[in-house]
Amino acid sequence: MTTKSIVQEFTKGLWDENPVFRQLLGLCPTLAVTGWVINGLAMGLATTFVLIFSSLVISSIKKLIPSQVRIATFIVVIATFVTIADLFLKAYFYQISKALGPYVPLIVVNCIILGRQEAFSSKNSVGRSFIDALGMSSGFILALLVLSSIREILGAGTFLGYKVMGPWFKPWIIMILPPGAFLALGILLGIALHIESKTKSRK
Amino acid sequence: MSLYSRMVIVLTSVGLISGSFLATVGTLTKEQIALNIQREIEEAIVHVIPGAVRSEKLYEEKDLTIYGGKDGDGALIGFGILAAGVGFQDRIALMLGTNISLTRTKKMRIIEQKETPGLGANIDDEETFLIFWENKDCSEHLSLRKPAVKTPEELSPMEINTITGATISSESVLKIVNSALERARQLIKEGAFQIGEPDDN
Repeated sequence: MTTKSIVQEFTKGLWDENPVFRQLLGLCPTLAVTGWVINGLAMGLATTFVLIFSSLVISSIKKLIPSQVRIATFIVVIATFVTIADLFLKAYFYQISKALGPYVPLIVVNCIILGRQEAFSSKNSVGRSFIDALGMSSGFILALLVLSSIREILGAGTFLGYKVMGPWFKPWIIMILPPGAFLALGILLGIALHIESKTKSRK
Repeated sequence: MSLYSRMVIVLTSVGLISGSFLATVGTLTKEQIALNIQREIEEAIVHVIPGAVRSEKLYEEKDLTIYGGKDGDGALIGFGILAAGVGFQDRIALMLGTNISLTRTKKMRIIEQKETPGLGANIDDEETFLIFWENKDCSEHLSLRKPAVKTPEELSPMEINTITGATISSESVLKIVNSALERARQLIKEGAFQIGEPDDN
């Protein structure tokens, strides 16, 4: 059982165990939907909803689930919340749902969600699982926001659709294309590793 | 209780509870989702047929739906042709407004596309592409002007502008429109739907 405080349980997801920058999980949606900040934000919020509710349910019923069928049970629970998120977006945020395309249904196979159920919620209390899910989701949203901000500003000269670069700026179209996602993520991972090695060498 | 029974009971219960939840959420959102799709189509029809205040579905088949756009008096003033086809990356769906003799375009709106951002995705940009589709002579097949021109006045009446760097996307839109217009003309000849009927309402 973990000995971390509630605050540490939350903050670990922001940096020490950030799902994207430190664990390299959930990279498919991270790369695919971060061309525009609004899409990255919507994907982050949809994933947050699924992760929090799946963690709450799994941690509540963990003692009832035989270990032989735990993965199947986790997937059914996750798929339920993903479908709810998908229907909600289609009903109340139609344009965003169209822009995100198949990536909302694909949250079902996002490793962050299944990984947290297997590694944390199935072994910890409801309260801790909630805090863990909240921290991991915040870390995921943070990563999507950083990546999508860089890509939208450089690729289109806008942020959330508002022009932020002057008339002198020529958009780097490659940044909103798939190669731009790999370039930006690669550079950000390099920076993350550099910060980590500096921190370790100081200790 | 045996392990086998526990596994069956747990999975069945989780499946049943999940199914019930989804059925409830599906029922609650079904109407709103249908309304969103309907609203998007209606807005597109009113946009592509200037003067139209409402519409009526006249004919539907795979990748082609024809709507009649009506003015305030209920008179048919044009067609909204919802057509779809394959683009450079994925499916393109568009709504083209025409007059009732299908000889002149009015306006066009792209309903769905996943073309390359910054290039082919400009097919839904008014200034770059859509403005060049307004008021064209579509009595015969339209053609693409290459290389691209800067203003609609530089095009001949049956020519459409290309997007520089996105010829395949431009050609895809042209192909969808030409096929849809040809099919619509054929349907009118066959009497598949009535045109110019006075509105009862």
